[in-house]
Amino acid sequence: MVDLKNLIEITKKIISREDVKYIVGYKKGTYGFQIMPAFAYTPEDAEEFIYSPLCSKNLAVYTILEEKLPLKRGEEEDKRKIGVVVKGCDSRAVVQIIQEKGLKREDLVLIGIPCRGVIEPKKIEKMFPNQTDLIEVIENDNSEYIINIGGKTHKVPKNELLSDVCKSCEFPNPPLYDVLLGEEVEITETEEFSKINELDEKPTEDKWEYWKEHFERCIRCYACREACPLCYCKECMADTLNPQWIRRSVNLSENTAWNIMRAYHLAGRCISCGECERVCPVNIPLMELNKKIERDVKKMFDYTSGLDEEEKPLFGMFKPDDPEDFIL
Amino acid sequence: MEEFEPNIIGFLCNWCSYAGADLAGTSRIQYPPNVKIIKVMCSGRINPMYVVNALQQGADGVLIGGCHPGDCHYSRGNYLARRRIAVMKRLLEYIGIEPERVRMTWVSAAEGRKFAEVVEEVTEDIKKIGPMKKIRRENVW
Ligand code: SF4
Ligand code: SF4
Ligand code: SF4
Repeated sequence: MVDLKNLIEITKKIISREDVKYIVGYKKGTYGFQIMPAFAYTPEDAEEFIYSPLCSKNLAVYTILEEKLPLKRGEEEDKRKIGVVVKGCDSRAVVQIIQEKGLKREDLVLIGIPCRGVIEPKKIEKMFPNQTDLIEVIENDNSEYIINIGGKTHKVPKNELLSDVCKSCEFPNPPLYDVLLGEEVEITETEEFSKINELDEKPTEDKWEYWKEHFERCIRCYACREACPLCYCKECMADTLNPQWIRRSVNLSENTAWNIMRAYHLAGRCISCGECERVCPVNIPLMELNKKIERDVKKMFDYTSGLDEEEKPLFGMFKPDDPEDFIL
Repeated sequence: MEEFEPNIIGFLCNWCSYAGADLAGTSRIQYPPNVKIIKVMCSGRINPMYVVNALQQGADGVLIGGCHPGDCHYSRGNYLARRRIAVMKRLLEYIGIEPERVRMTWVSAAEGRKFAEVVEEVTEDIKKIGPMKKIRRENVW
């Protein structure tokens, strides 16, 4: 469990340092089960930091959103570090970005949180719909969530609200951090992400029926891209005009192409934080695509993303004996 | 009814498979005319989105040709292509696009015969599964 006092204490200490610009963490939202990102520029700002099982957001995305304005004449570049509060998967996202040379390790301060899994916002909102008050959730030692709504206390078994990606998470402890809050969690047995196996065994036509139904609903809001810490291309292929990889029209053909492209670009890079699926307004099961690729990549190339900053990117290297049974 | 003649786009690398196709032609080996060839400098230059875009734009199948492992003119392009296409192919199969539609082959500059055989096989397979309609664009321009 994360000791809140400890979190604030450590954040204050780090933000007081000369070489740190700000720290991104979580703070209370305004209603329901909301949690908001918080930016601490001063020790006082750190007072509002919290951590709870509702903190599902992947804050690693803010490290790449940092805007670097052109320098004025005579102005010096702000070389101060940015701090982020990272769970297991968030830390892997940072590792992956460093591996791709999108960020430098020395530009970051990472406050690691050994993660015990987060609540899937879509699940809890379904269980307790239309909440207008701000609700807090704590986890007890018996794998239950204690939810206090309007003076009434609900106890919900953890498994019912836990995010699917957390159920199959193999790396709850941050692989990269500067300070770790609390003890590393023990890695218990993980469930396999079984949805993909079911679909994998179905005939081709059924697979297409399944995905067609989903892709038809995509509204191409690109929320999945914006929320993803690894979709940080300066110019996304979905936005280019020459060549126009994907047309702007929202129809099955273009939507499918977009979803193939997004999933494919994250091959060997996606760290299974589940943010893309969480933010999708029409509930397309994007994690099934990501997990499918993740499993293929593991099986074919014995590669896992986001564990080692020194590793080469999946598609930037090869082994002479990579599988080639599909080649004529 | 007229027999369905598939439209197949072949992305062939300049140094081996395109030369192989050339050899098939100069040696007058007969093979189906369904493959429309686009020459690229290296199989490693093939952006996997080319495959998706071809299927959208009117192709019933895509054939990718590169040099045999170890023979790449740029020494590693075909190895990289192999990885990329392996992942893309499996992803396409997973969303329900027939595996026959995306094929990859190694053809050297001396293998005119092999090129003809591969084209024959690919064309036959695609004839069996019929035209690609799933992700075809409605207005092609
Ligand atoms: S978030 Fe969902 S609806 Fe929006 S572009 Fe992504 S898949 Fe489509
Ligand atoms: S694709 Fe989705 S699960 Fe993977 S890193 Fe991006 S947001 Fe996270
Ligand atoms: S979808 Fe692809 S091109 Fe676009 S931001 Fe993501 S990784 Fe980059």
